[in-house]
Amino acid sequence: MAFAFLVPSLLLFAFFTFWPLLRSVYLSFHGSDIIGRPTLFVGTRQYEQLLSSPTFRDVLVNTALFTALTVIPSLAIGLLIAILLQQRIAGIGLFRTLMATPFAFSVATASVVFAIFFNPGVGVFNGFLYFFHLPPVGWLTDPSKALASVALASVWLQLGYNVLVLSAGLQAIPDEVYEAARLDGARAPAMTWHITLPLLTPTLFFLLVVTTIISLQSFGQIHILTRGGPAGATTTLVYSIYVNAFAFGNSNFGYASAQALVLFAIVLAVTAIQFGVLERRVFYR
Amino acid sequence: MKRLVIGLLMLVVACGGGNGGSGTANPLDDNATPPAGGVEVQFWHGFAAGANQDATNALVAKFNDAHKGAIKVTATYAGNYDDTLAKFKAGIQSNQLPDMVQIYDIGTRFMIDSGVVQPMQLFIDHDKYSTKDLEPNILGYYQIGSKLYSMPWNVSMPLLYYNKDAFTRAGLDPNKPPQTLDEIRAAAEKLTMRDANGQVTQYGFGAAIYGWFLEQWTARADQQYCNNGNGRDKNATKLQINQPLDVKVVDWWTKMVNDGLALNTGRNTTDAQNAFKAGRTVMNVESTGTLRGYQSSVKFALGTAFYPRSEASAAGGPIIGGASLWIVNKKPSYTQKAAWEFVKFLELPENQAYWHTHTGYFPVDTKAANDPTDQQWMQQYPQFKTAIDQLHATKLDKATQGCILGVMPAARQAAEVGIEQAVTKQKSPQKAMDDAVATMQPQIDSYNQAVGAK
Amino acid sequence: MTGIWRGVNYAVLVAITFILLFPLLYALSGSLMSAHELSSYPTPLLPAHPQLQSFADVMKAIPLAREYLNSALVAALITTGQLLTATLSAYAFAFLRMPYRNALFAVFLATMMIPWEAIIIPNYLFMADNGLINTYPALVLPFLAAGFGTFLLRQFFLGFPRDLYEAALVDGCSHLRFLWSILVPLSRPALAALGIWAFLSAWNQYFWPLLVTKTEEMQTLQIGISRLRDVEAATAPNFILAGTVLALVPTLVLIYLGQRHIVRGLTAGAVRG
Repeated sequence: MAFAFLVPSLLLFAFFTFWPLLRSVYLSFHGSDIIGRPTLFVGTRQYEQLLSSPTFRDVLVNTALFTALTVIPSLAIGLLIAILLQQRIAGIGLFRTLMATPFAFSVATASVVFAIFFNPGVGVFNGFLYFFHLPPVGWLTDPSKALASVALASVWLQLGYNVLVLSAGLQAIPDEVYEAARLDGARAPAMTWHITLPLLTPTLFFLLVVTTIISLQSFGQIHILTRGGPAGATTTLVYSIYVNAFAFGNSNFGYASAQALVLFAIVLAVTAIQFGVLERRVFYR
Repeated sequence: MKRLVIGLLMLVVACGGGNGGSGTANPLDDNATPPAGGVEVQFWHGFAAGANQDATNALVAKFNDAHKGAIKVTATYAGNYDDTLAKFKAGIQSNQLPDMVQIYDIGTRFMIDSGVVQPMQLFIDHDKYSTKDLEPNILGYYQIGSKLYSMPWNVSMPLLYYNKDAFTRAGLDPNKPPQTLDEIRAAAEKLTMRDANGQVTQYGFGAAIYGWFLEQWTARADQQYCNNGNGRDKNATKLQINQPLDVKVVDWWTKMVNDGLALNTGRNTTDAQNAFKAGRTVMNVESTGTLRGYQSSVKFALGTAFYPRSEASAAGGPIIGGASLWIVNKKPSYTQKAAWEFVKFLELPENQAYWHTHTGYFPVDTKAANDPTDQQWMQQYPQFKTAIDQLHATKLDKATQGCILGVMPAARQAAEVGIEQAVTKQKSPQKAMDDAVATMQPQIDSYNQAVGAK
Repeated sequence: MTGIWRGVNYAVLVAITFILLFPLLYALSGSLMSAHELSSYPTPLLPAHPQLQSFADVMKAIPLAREYLNSALVAALITTGQLLTATLSAYAFAFLRMPYRNALFAVFLATMMIPWEAIIIPNYLFMADNGLINTYPALVLPFLAAGFGTFLLRQFFLGFPRDLYEAALVDGCSHLRFLWSILVPLSRPALAALGIWAFLSAWNQYFWPLLVTKTEEMQTLQIGISRLRDVEAATAPNFILAGTVLALVPTLVLIYLGQRHIVRGLTAGAVRG
């Protein structure tokens, strides 16, 4: 009887989550014909191709770099901003509201605006540099800078959410704890280090997991800003899946599915490590 | 119900008349009767909202009016060129194909190998349609041997655009534009302006890192982009873009950017166009399709010239670009014939003149030039004459016909990656192009294996 | 705090706010500029003669209203779907006895571990094989159930006073009646939280609509905005920025006016740990 309540969800999961996962595995063991049908059984050859492909190695490196460049700054800067916003001074409410602006943007709208900022010929950022007599930067055309530029846009976008969540986490710390510490003679920096941060660890941990997963799944900003270029410098794993399966007249669903399963493995591994290693340090009340 | 009727009719066609042109029976000659209300033709194209779409819809309306009750064409925007091809591919699997579709030039080999298209030659022979008025240099791209597979429709070519005012200011003759890469460099050295702080305010040259341009330079030098007669003798088995000529072009481009004479705006063609329009670059290579846009937005005198040669002795010519019309073969014969009527309609001189003057694409029918609207337009846009002269000056051979390759879109992308790597000094031009050839090899091989090409 | 520190404090806050606001400010400013201004270099930051022409142009060039409708419809359907399926499943897990309950719950949790991008290809092929490309079902069906919703609501339901539940049962209340008349009204915060999260996620989706929508009539707002560059009339950024500003209006209103509710919704999983 109780099953009836679960049936709608389970049916949907079966069709759109579990069956596709199995099909991904099936596809990864088959090569495609020119229309994309999985006609040729190739066993593990596509996985072997991935392991020995220098392009794929670069893709994994790009993914790791991009994740680090997005997660760490968005958490660190987010925390700093959230702490600043905790001050009980006049007008803090207005600051808090305005600083939530990035949250109103989506990946698409933010990327479109940043594309204009980063534009190589007539962009705003290079305009600033020109104004200050500085040489222009190839934000999206220089392979050594493109990934960082895309990460910059991602960090900006993520800050809206991060600041909101961290602020809520900070506000949940009861005042009495601070009062007690102040009575004991503690000063602001010590309080931050010994009280705020430990009590904030549940929120920080949650945000770390969420931001990492969002980073690993990033697609829109890469598609709009660089299309994976220049010369593959911003091609992360998700973008590589897209290119192999859908872009440039490709329909290599088998090869792309193999990569998709690598992504699955990485997300599982990263989350497992986060829960296994870092969660122990979370201080639950 | 309609699907059932069509299904039954297809059964009749398949079992009753002959299939795909095998044997002596022509699949268009069965006696299938069209439905009483008229035949519907579903047509997918890749023109987003704008002048091109408007012109398309106007021609469709004109055709439908002339064939009221007999044929009705419904034109749908199916996404940009890449998306239309993807949608078409998905449609092959789920059997949801249109009756007629516009596919870009680099999708040609795939369309031929897909097995779902009816070559135009079949209709031409069946109707005894004369192609003598159609530009041979344009038909050439879509012909293998002398068999025409699709009908060219929106045709463009590359041109060199330049800022005549900037030329005058730099002491160069605005009516003598550079014709070779070396001449471009020499001109750029005079045109690149710096301000008091050493910042470049005006670059001599700028172009998008667009694989199409490399294909053009290869053909301009009468060289083949891929082997086996540019893919026209039989399926190409490798790319040839690491030959000395291609490396020379890439090397030239690299030096231009790194010596501060050219602005690198990346792969996006809109960014390069905007830089030219804003006066940041003086010379720009782009398609004839951008002529009207440039004319209406630039604040300087616009000049056009033949697409530059890699060196003075280069003997080839540029390749035509754009897209063509394909008729799907898994449809009743009357639908195919109706689609063919629409194709013929589009190629009529007065409709070609309309198309040309409303979009800026080339007229495929030579007689269109006699149409008064066309002549008036040419007076308004004299720069277009450069393009027509360039088309007529090109000798048609396998190199200038263009490379036909199943994985051409991916090959173009690989070329772009190679150029990017060279221009940003990640690799030497030779290594970058060698690697581009190497990365494409597995894809070419598996494509040929999949289609059973020997 | 002393005067000078207070000044510095405010200066820092203003600076940070300006950086976080800059993209929005520039979008607003740019959308009011003329194409000519944006084609010059370096581009000005403020319009010399503000004009609304770009807004008119962008609304004429793309079916913006239709795209809004698509996004709103799809997001509403997905949100309703998730609320329904999650409420039912969470109720079953929190209140009902059933064999293999823990194993089944693990199945729900497992769906949260499978990233959408790992299964996007088979889902696309499913839609293609069944002729659903470029239709509303393709945009909506895969997202009608989400493990996160069940997880969230179950957490909330578990904190529900048991006595009330038992009393209702004794009174002859059926499960569905209890659910609809008692539990749901009392669970408004959690349901609102899930609803906002689901709606925003659906509204902001990019990758999936990119794959399954092929014509302008079916495009969602996000895809439409990202495609502005391809539109012929988009010769200068003012056009693109005008479209972007129009697309941002609902979410800006939401976060500027409804911040408290959003915070509650988003932090539902975070703060309690």
